[in-house]
Amino acid sequence: MKWIIISVGIAISLGILAMLVLVQAEHSKADIPVLGQLSDFTLTERSGESFTRDNLIGKLTVVDFIFTSCQGPCPIMGTTMAELYQQFEGTSRIQFLSISVDPERDSLETLREYATSLGVTDNRWLFTRGPLDSITQLCEGQFMLAAENLPGGHTTKFILVDDQAQIRRYYTSLDEKSIRALKRDLKLLVDKIK
Amino acid sequence: MRRLRQFAFFSTIATYILIFIGGLVRVSGAGLGCPDWPTCFGRWIPPTSLDQLPSDIDPSQFNIALAWIEYSNRLCGIIVGLLIATTAVLALMYARHRIKIWFPAVLAGLLTAFQGWQGSVVVSSVLEPVVVTVHTVIALIIVSLLIWVTQQSYYEEHSAIEMPKLPSATVKWMTILWSLSIVQVILGTQVRQAYEVVVHQFPMLHPTQWVGKVGGLNHVHMTIGIVVAVYAWYVGQAILKGSKGITPLLRQSIIGIMVAVGIQIILGLTFIFVGLSPLTQVFHLWVASIIIGLSLVIFTASKRAYQTGSR
Repeated sequence: MKWIIISVGIAISLGILAMLVLVQAEHSKADIPVLGQLSDFTLTERSGESFTRDNLIGKLTVVDFIFTSCQGPCPIMGTTMAELYQQFEGTSRIQFLSISVDPERDSLETLREYATSLGVTDNRWLFTRGPLDSITQLCEGQFMLAAENLPGGHTTKFILVDDQAQIRRYYTSLDEKSIRALKRDLKLLVDKIK
Repeated sequence: MRRLRQFAFFSTIATYILIFIGGLVRVSGAGLGCPDWPTCFGRWIPPTSLDQLPSDIDPSQFNIALAWIEYSNRLCGIIVGLLIATTAVLALMYARHRIKIWFPAVLAGLLTAFQGWQGSVVVSSVLEPVVVTVHTVIALIIVSLLIWVTQQSYYEEHSAIEMPKLPSATVKWMTILWSLSIVQVILGTQVRQAYEVVVHQFPMLHPTQWVGKVGGLNHVHMTIGIVVAVYAWYVGQAILKGSKGITPLLRQSIIGIMVAVGIQIILGLTFIFVGLSPLTQVFHLWVASIIIGLSLVIFTASKRAYQTGSR
């Protein structure tokens, strides 16, 4: 009898310790700080409609800066974003936003073709363009990312923007571990805006 | 000899606690809480705030809770390492004429040193599944060696103790149970890895759907689990019924195994119907390690009973 009590006691103590540790770990992972607040901007989506800050409200948005003729990291960024687009197809509370850093060559027609080539069939993934100086200002001034020598020198980060148009975290689009973290964060935050 | 037995026993208990903490580190996602090794964010004591981070480290990598969970694992590892090293030294001092005591004790010490180094590989490999599995299996071998040393030094200390009469196949039964349990642990780590891949591919599914998508490997693990449970109950009953003069330790070990396999089946069912929760995962691995330990206790006792001719 004595050993049963001791065994159960040890198991319960370890269970409580484990619970505390796990709750703390989960809590810490869910604590994604607000890194910045986006202010007004206007872009044009491939459909021809304007895309503004208001379109970020109420949804989580994964943002990247690309250009369609890019032969460097963009194909990998596009493939990764396409994977995310497919994996999160079960929810309309997550959208993807690609902003062209080469408005001269990336016409709306080019953006539509690019979207089709990536298998995009709906408006959960938006492809936008705007004047180069506005894009540079948006990237540097609002997203706080380098935008020198565009289009070639564009950032390869993915940016997570929450349902209040706040920047929550940056991810290295070419790093699988970072993309796993992005998926975890999307799942954590999307449950909060149900 | 008494001191050796006590140290070996404490080392065994401490190693079991460390296996539990190790499992906790794994499921809490704190395995990379410290991205470097042996230091944590370049410091011997982990940072407690962002401004203590070295300038070359990306602040988004820093999570204070995860860093301290991983650091606690390392601290406990050092304490257990010192305990096992002391056990090995004591074995060389007091049992150098008994190779079956000093050799496993020294081997446990060497494996512990290796395990410490291998811990650095776990971190540098960014939790490569094979490396994590090796880390787990080495821990189970260390704890098995310590149990053997504890028991052998007890028998050395009490050489006149009368051994119970056990069924002749007990040694064989326990060898099979120990081996099957090790195989199950290895398979379990692979199932967990496959589960992580599924979570990565289908982030929006419910946890029970994730388990369902793991596939064939999971079915193999479940089937062997049921076989192990039935086998453990069968041999447990056979030993209890077929023994004479069974000691309390042996009786408790046998009942312990039978209870433990029952717990494993219940935990397995919760994985299927509720999904893999971190807490149940920790206990699933830990209870498996207890089954491995208890089957070795019975193995060693039955071997002794065989040698002293009391079967």
